[in-house]
This record gives sequence, structure tokens and C-alpha cells, in this order.
Amino acid sequence: MSAPIYRLEGLGYAYPGEGSSFRLELGSLAVGEGEILALVGPNGAGKTTLLTLLAFLARPSRGRLEYRGADPWAGGDGAIAARREAVLVTHHPYLFKGTVADNVLFGLKLRKLPEDVMSARLRSALALVELDGCERTPASRLSAGQAQRVALARALALEPRVLLLDEPTAGVDTGIGLRLEAVLREVSRAAGATVVFSTHDFSQASRLADAIVHLSEGRRVEFSHENCFSGTAESDGRLSWIEPRPGVRLHFAGQARGHVTCVIDPKDIRLTVADGEAAAPGPNVFAGKVTRMETTDASTARVRVGGDLVFRVSLPVAEVEAKGVSLSRRVLLRFEPESVTVIGPRTAGNPR
Amino acid sequence: MIFRELALAVGVSLKTSGLAALIASAVAVPAALFLSGRDFRGKKLILVVNQTWMAAPTVVIGLLFYSLLSRSGPLGGLGLLYTQAAMTVGQVFLILPLIVGFSYTALRQVDKRARPTALTLGATPRQAGWVVLREARYALLIAVLAGFARAVSEVGIAMMLGGNIRNATRNITTSIALETAKGEYRNGIILGAILLAVTLGINILVQTGLRGRERD
Repeated sequence: MSAPIYRLEGLGYAYPGEGSSFRLELGSLAVGEGEILALVGPNGAGKTTLLTLLAFLARPSRGRLEYRGADPWAGGDGAIAARREAVLVTHHPYLFKGTVADNVLFGLKLRKLPEDVMSARLRSALALVELDGCERTPASRLSAGQAQRVALARALALEPRVLLLDEPTAGVDTGIGLRLEAVLREVSRAAGATVVFSTHDFSQASRLADAIVHLSEGRRVEFSHENCFSGTAESDGRLSWIEPRPGVRLHFAGQARGHVTCVIDPKDIRLTVADGEAAAPGPNVFAGKVTRMETTDASTARVRVGGDLVFRVSLPVAEVEAKGVSLSRRVLLRFEPESVTVIGPRTAGNPR
Repeated sequence: MIFRELALAVGVSLKTSGLAALIASAVAVPAALFLSGRDFRGKKLILVVNQTWMAAPTVVIGLLFYSLLSRSGPLGGLGLLYTQAAMTVGQVFLILPLIVGFSYTALRQVDKRARPTALTLGATPRQAGWVVLREARYALLIAVLAGFARAVSEVGIAMMLGGNIRNATRNITTSIALETAKGEYRNGIILGAILLAVTLGINILVQTGLRGRERD
């Protein structure tokens, strides 16, 4: 990782007042300069709170948040100076009264840039978000998706050192979303900006980010990036599931809604050899063939199984030998719905 | 009542009440910005006191300042009683809670995201405060106009602190009171119509100008 632009040590944040029980409790975290970092987690995980702290719009309740080697909250105008480099675009951005141009030029005017520079940046920022020619459109007449793109253009025009984005592609159509993803890559690669964005979409995080931080209930959670499957959550009241492929259900405990990502730890999958045996009915039983085998150390084997879905299973080498697992062997995989970690907007009851 | 006297009375009304609206706004709007931007112990009490103050009768305020500014009062040495300055001071005190209350409501209705948006785009806290004021500019102007309307239409303070001195502190409302006392009801009604016309003209001018800018 390049030199860290952010360094967090024991960072904690609690909202003032007695109404909120939410607390953000992070251990240590470093974000490299020029890196794209994704914050993934369900609603209420603390993604927005962390972005707000990284934008220096709120002061940590405890711990240390260093920006470029110094603590901006230590005194003086450190936080104001840091804010001029780290710009946050919120999920539901606010546009000031006036035109699109008034909004995009807002930060540029505060920086007292020359007129010709401001005009050039206005044009290029609007072109990046495909809103060329909308300079004189009143902000009040924009759709939610257009407003989000104007807010992104308003931030891009500042050529910030750090771009912080709260669910940047939520609310825009797929085509524009992919275009915005390309813009973020461009901002990071060409301009060298650090990009930190939050998302529910694990696949988007995987596509875009150099590093991913998973958050759940205000804490950082660690798990393997293997065996990740996304889909729209459905439920029959007892179990919930997604269909990563049509007709192929992956069950999980509890309730969830919307687009979620399900993750199964390779160690939680039980593997049995099943030559000629049909898959027994039940949730989360998958048949497949061993397509790859390797050992990670003297005692642990990693087995890749291809079928309706591709899973990676981790199990002791001795068990592999005892069961006669070999390449191209048909096997059955089973795991409990309770073993599935759900990343996305949960409603209740999911134990993970 | 001759035309010159009428013009002088209109001038006194506009001058004293306009000045009172400006001075009261310079205090009330920042106070409302402070109150709307944070929660602290005692804030509710301040708002309740402000609400109560709004209902203070003009003669009570007039009497209070009369006792302060009269020769035997603590501020008698200033020699302000029966001057336009005294009328302005009394009217400032009258309309201050009104402008605080209206401005507070206006600023509370500004989207909560306006201030952090300005801050993240590089504004200092002071500049962000200006942004919030700018977002509420129309409603704030209504608050100031309401304060002016209250000041220009009151009679108790003008009468007690100004003394209704001809060609000096006589304004439209004290002229109406005088004409009515004399039994010249027709003059009183004409003066009342002139007062309304002046207030209407100012409202139309300001609101037309502001709406024109809002459309840009």
C-alpha cells in the first residue's frame, strides 16, 4: 500500500444526545494515497458515519484520525484545511437554490479561482457526469439521479485529493452507474485521488476497489471474499433466499430485503463424495465436480467445486484423503442457512 | 392637515420604523441563526420568553421606556425622550422578538444538509452560516417586512416616546390618533389608507425584486 493518507487508531463515534444507541467502534485502519476503498455493509452499519468522519464534518468521540500524518482536530484551522481536500458526496445530496452552474461553481468560488479556470472546470465536470449543456438548468428541476450527478460534478470540479462517496450509484440507472464507476476509476488512476465509497453492492465493491472494509453494526467485520453470491432477497416467512442463478436458491436465516450479498466461509461448507448419488433435498445442498485442489499449508486443503454455483471449500488434508476427494470427483456440498453472512439491508433476525 | 405635514409624518414613520426594522434584524437574524443551529440547555425557555414578548402591548413597552428615558429615569440624561431616536429604540424592542421568531422558523425550515454541504465544499463555519441564511433569504425578508409592518403600524410607543410633536415626531399613526381625537374621522381614515398604501408599496417592491432574483 502507498503511504497512508488516513490513519485511524481506536476511532469511536457516538451521536450526541440520548436518542441514538448507535456507536461506531473501529480499531485501526489505514487508507493509502490514491487507493480506492469500498465500505460495504447493511443499513446502519456505520458507513455514512465513517464517511462523515473522514470528511471532517464530525469530530471523533474518541481515538485518533490522522490525515496526511497530522490530526486535523488537534487545533487551529486543521479541520477546515482538511475539508478543502476531502470532499463528501452524500447519498441524498443537497443542491443549493439556483442553477446547476451555481452549484458546481460554489466550491470553486470559495477557493477564489480565476474565472477561466472555473469555466473550464465547470464544463469538464459536467461532461464527466454526462450533463453537458445543463449549466443554466435550475437545480429544483432535476430528477434525483441528475441531482446526484450534479453533486458528483460539484465535487469533481474541485479536483479533491480525497473523494468520499456515499452510495454513489444508488438511484441512477445501470448505464449511468457503470459510467460513474469509470469516472471514479479515472479520478483515482489519472488524478491520483483517493476514493472512499460506500455501497451495499459487494460486486460493485469488488469491481472498483483496491481494498474493501466490511462494516456491521458500527464495527469492522472480517471474512473471506470467497463464496460471495448476490441476488434479490425473498422469503417464505421461515427461511429467506436469493437466486444467484435462475432456479438456484441459496438460503439464509432471518429476513432481508432488496439486493443482498451472501457470503459463506469455506470452512463452514461440509463436503461428501457422491458418485452417482443425487443431491439430497434440503436447503443449501449443492452437487458439483471438483475442479481444483491445492493445499494452503501442511494440514489444510482448498477444494474448488463447480456446479450450479462455484464454491471454495476449506477442509483438513486428512479428511480429503479419508473421503477420497480427487479432481473430477462428484461431490455434495452442504452448509447451514445460519452459516451464511448477509451483506445488505436486513430487516431482523439474521444472526450473522 | 396640509400636504407638507402629511409628507413629514410619512417620512417620520418610514425613517423610525425602517431604522427599527434594520437594527432589530441585525440582532434578531444572527440570534435566530444561533438558536436554530444548535440545541442547548435553556433554549426552550428562551423561545417561550420570546413568544411571550411578542404579545407585549405597545403601551407597556412605551411605558417601560418612558420610565427609563424620562428626566427622572436612569437614562434621562441622554435627553432622548420625545425624539425620533426614542421612538426607534422602543420599536426595536417591540419587533425584536417578532423577527427572532419568524427568522427562527425560517431557518429551521432550511434543509439540514445545507450547512454540511457548504462545509464539505470548503466553506468556513462562518461562510456556511451565510449559505444557510442565503437559502432562507425569502422567508427572512418576510420576517423583516413583518417587523417593519408591526413597527410602522403601532401607535403606543410613538405616542409615549415621541410625544406626537408636530413636524418632529408626529408620524402616520399618531396623526390618525390626533385626527380621530379631534373628530376628523375622514382624515383619520385617509391617513390609515395612506399607511396601508405605503406598507403595500414597500412589500410589492421588495418581493417583486426578490422573486425576480429567485427565478434567475
